[in-house]
Amino acid sequence: MDPLQKIYRILLLIIISFVGWITIPFFSPLILILIFSFLLTSIFLQSVDYIEGYLKSRVIGVITVLGTSITVSILFIGSFFTSFGIQIKTFSNKIQKDNFTVAVENLSSKITSLLPEFFNNLIPESDKIILMTKNFMVNIFQNVLALLGSAGNFVFIIFMVLIFTIILLIEYHDFKRSLVRFIPNKYLEIGLRTIYNIEQQISKYLRGQILAASSVAILSIIGLFILNKIGANITLVIFIGIIAGLANLIPMVGPFIGMIPAILIALMNNIGNESALTHYIFNVIPSPFFIFDIILMFIIVQQIDNNFITPLVIGESVGLHPMVVMIVLIIGGTLIGPLGMLFAIPAAGVLKVLLREIIFISKNSHLL
Amino acid sequence: MEALYKNFFRKKDNANPVLKALEEIPIFENLLKKELRKIVQLTHERKYKSNEYVFKKHAPAEGMYVILDGKIEIRDPKSRNIFANLNSGDFFGELALLDEKPRSASAVCSEPSRLIGFFRTDLLTLIKRYPELGNKILLNLSRVLGERLRETNKNIIELN
Repeated sequence: MDPLQKIYRILLLIIISFVGWITIPFFSPLILILIFSFLLTSIFLQSVDYIEGYLKSRVIGVITVLGTSITVSILFIGSFFTSFGIQIKTFSNKIQKDNFTVAVENLSSKITSLLPEFFNNLIPESDKIILMTKNFMVNIFQNVLALLGSAGNFVFIIFMVLIFTIILLIEYHDFKRSLVRFIPNKYLEIGLRTIYNIEQQISKYLRGQILAASSVAILSIIGLFILNKIGANITLVIFIGIIAGLANLIPMVGPFIGMIPAILIALMNNIGNESALTHYIFNVIPSPFFIFDIILMFIIVQQIDNNFITPLVIGESVGLHPMVVMIVLIIGGTLIGPLGMLFAIPAAGVLKVLLREIIFISKNSHLL
Repeated sequence: MEALYKNFFRKKDNANPVLKALEEIPIFENLLKKELRKIVQLTHERKYKSNEYVFKKHAPAEGMYVILDGKIEIRDPKSRNIFANLNSGDFFGELALLDEKPRSASAVCSEPSRLIGFFRTDLLTLIKRYPELGNKILLNLSRVLGERLRETNKNIIELN
């Protein structure tokens, strides 16, 4: 290549990158909508293709798949909020009563007596605990109100994601064909292979994640039922299980997020219950309010998931070294927070495919 | 009135050169018009200059090509031996639909050409979206390869 042309290309690349860097904040909501739509399309594409094969209509396939998913999601979210509302109401009634104050005082003195003197200074006074709990409740209500305030924007984004997903699902194969038109003849076959491999990588990863999340949800539900059998008194078991499964989609951090609602609900339901306060795991380790039982149960579920389910369903779909996974997660998390962690692995998988093809092209340029 | 009928009611399929070309290919034999239309939606029409390579020997193979217009030379780049001169309506590279082995020869355009590409990924999509149609194509493909094998056997026997 002519050196002047090379300089011109590098300059053009720098200018495009600079303009992109400046304009990205303005387009970030749109980019996010497109990423979500693309991910949803990848999740539903197989089912739509499959239904289209039988019903001979792609539109009906899209309506069937999305309609079913939306109905199930609405039913889940609706019943979750109803049940969670009842739970909060019961708990607020509980803290209004006098015996709640007594229970917290009992709990505080019990823990103080159990722990060595050094730790006693770290345990807050019972009055403070009551105040903290009440503030916690007020905070929850304030957050719910703030959430409702931003609900307008959220609904708009969801609506746009839905519209984009419908369009992408209906027109997916035509879009792909249009994209292929831009590939030069020289790179046509390798380009098609790259697109196919990226599609496979994403869809395999997503399907694997959904399967792993479902199994974590089912195992957590079973575990929580078992804990209830020994008197843990945990309500909203199915919702907690599903939340744990969904949280599992975020690697490394997800499992810890998953156990928080279970611990919170166990605390809410068992506060004031003497036997729950003095509960021991295997009659050896003290586990007030079954907290350590819950943690142990989630650790067991995680072990089953990490050692049996994930290798089976996700396995080599992404094929990244655990060290690379951790680095990629840190980068994703630092750049765009939890969403970054969610997208980090599939994005790394796509980059891996691209890198593999680029290396192949650079090594075999004489064949193209 | 006839002009009006032609403009509004006549099916435009006959005017579609891709559809017409595919109809003549043994791999797409005995397919209904609507099935062929589904295949047309998946194929890629490409334009090549004279002396431009469609693919080179040993390159990774992804699919087959049908010549819409132009001429293609199938040759060995080292010995310069020409294995075949292909014209409009001919097809090549169909083995790549089934296996992932590299190309066994190079394909070069002897004049500006227009080709239709049908690739393994398209076939896989087709099998997923329309399994019945996918099966028909696979059956046709097996028949074409079977015929070629029989022909090769006959040639070997004749040579011996």
